[in-house]
Amino acid sequence: MGVKSTATLLVLGLATLSLAPPATAQADDVAVVVSSRNPATNISLGELRKMFAGTKRSWPGGQPVKLVTRGPGCPERLVLLKLLAMSEIEYKQYWTGQVFRGEADAEPLTVPSVGMQKEALTVFPWAISLVNVREVKPGMKVIKVDSLLPGASGYPLH
Amino acid sequence: MHCAQLALLLVPAFSWAQNASCSEQETIAQLVQQMKQLQQQDRDLQERVKILEAKQPQASTLPDAVPASPTAPQQCAEETAPPPAPEAPAHDWHEVRGIQWRGFGEVDYQVLNQRQPETGTGGFVPGSAGNFYTGDFGLFLTSRLTNKASVLSEIVFEEGDAQSYKVDLRRMLLKYDYNDHLKMSFGRYQTNIGYYNWAFRSAAWLQTTADRPLVMEYASNGGLLPTQAIGVSVTGAIPSGKLGLNYVAEYGSSDTIRPDISGDGLLTDENNGNQTNVGLFARPDELRGLQIGGSYYHDQISNNVLNALSGAQVAPPPGTPGASARYGQTIVNAYAVYVAHGIEFLNEGFLIRHALVGSSLRFDTPAFYSQFSKQFGPVRPFFRYQYVNASPNNGIYDDIGLRFGPSFGARYDLNDYIAFKAQLDHTVRRGEPDLNGLQLQLAFTF
Repeated sequence: MGVKSTATLLVLGLATLSLAPPATAQADDVAVVVSSRNPATNISLGELRKMFAGTKRSWPGGQPVKLVTRGPGCPERLVLLKLLAMSEIEYKQYWTGQVFRGEADAEPLTVPSVGMQKEALTVFPWAISLVNVREVKPGMKVIKVDSLLPGASGYPLH
Repeated sequence: MHCAQLALLLVPAFSWAQNASCSEQETIAQLVQQMKQLQQQDRDLQERVKILEAKQPQASTLPDAVPASPTAPQQCAEETAPPPAPEAPAHDWHEVRGIQWRGFGEVDYQVLNQRQPETGTGGFVPGSAGNFYTGDFGLFLTSRLTNKASVLSEIVFEEGDAQSYKVDLRRMLLKYDYNDHLKMSFGRYQTNIGYYNWAFRSAAWLQTTADRPLVMEYASNGGLLPTQAIGVSVTGAIPSGKLGLNYVAEYGSSDTIRPDISGDGLLTDENNGNQTNVGLFARPDELRGLQIGGSYYHDQISNNVLNALSGAQVAPPPGTPGASARYGQTIVNAYAVYVAHGIEFLNEGFLIRHALVGSSLRFDTPAFYSQFSKQFGPVRPFFRYQYVNASPNNGIYDDIGLRFGPSFGARYDLNDYIAFKAQLDHTVRRGEPDLNGLQLQLAFTF
């Protein structure tokens, strides 16, 4: 263990502390995040559902939506399945069907970590993803759902 | 690992606290210096990543789509494993040089309580007269050309008689999505008559059941509807709030040849004129999984009967108009489906009208199917009931007649890619003995 590694841990620890969610946030709320370059600030639950179902494929400005999801077993994935009212099997079959139907080029991009979600939002400025509110990173822009931020009473994603 | 690192982090911290000879300011200065160095390294690495990404083709910049393993479903990374090293990203195995590809296929076994084979659904051995057949084997390719334009193709190898195969370019589309309200496709498409044709396409793997309802069977397998056309198809969302209205408008040539399903070796070359198809459907926000819609299709066809082997024209049945006669074909469809919470409940009804041009002669063929299934883990039991009633005097559907009956069985998903289906059919036919069948199917995608 070098001094650099120790310092890295220290920096990470400080960063984690600085990212602590507001006291009102529910621990299991899941935030909707987009790139900081995306002008969106609010989305309705219905639109969010359509986006993650691949039936709404563009932002209001016409830019194509890029879906970034977490893998099976993650809390964000469970919230996504709840949003779409699907089981994991149904979700996979649904997206295979969407591709075969020509309704999508490919299944949503599945990444194995929050860090890669952040990277995906950097690479794809019109991407949208779900992140546990406690794991929101700098560079991820949290947008409201039905005019509610995570932690607010009535926030629908948890 | 992290515990050890934390321990190592804490040990020097305690040592530092007990070492009066080391000044606080020097240590802080060292840490600040190290932080600056780390920040610089981070910036350098980010710069390198950007440079590497810029050197790669656009499609391969996808950050590491991780395919699900068929044997070990991917777990939440934080709970099980560290993220992959950035220098060795997982490759999207469905993408080659910007072309997304998929494949699907099926292997079937079928037994019937009659010797006379039929094509299509309801008692039928497509291809060889034996019990085994391979159905459709398809290759599906898409490629994004721009943010709004893409190409889609579906190449299907269909089994014919005696293990022969023919290639069918089942779909070939240049697609242009202007926005959610205007999505255009040019080329060969599947007609948006009803729900099933849109939802399940060619792949048996997508279907819950082993086969398609007869009314939605491909025309090349003896199905009733013009399932494909070449032309333009436009669809999109209609601003309608929570009602979730969408429209479909299609115009093209749906020239169709359909074999008689009775296995009499005859074909009907319908010589369809250009078709118009318009439809509306709603996906209400408040009722997730519900889709209600309908469509109206019209073209003109002939009853030009041919011998399947020789291609020679065959005289139509006595008392029916000749091959030169034209019929206006109108297909009205309505459906209500619910697919959510593990439930699949499909209901579609059709009225197919053939009206002899210049005459009051017309034939109405009503048809419907209803299918219900429920997912229990990897198993999905299903039940389907279908009904078709074609007039015996309708020369176009003289091989169909009246057919109705139930099918039931189960689909078992062995993994994300392979499904096994078992299905029992009982079909009542007018003027023919009832037909019982068993189908076993391995359907897969890759």
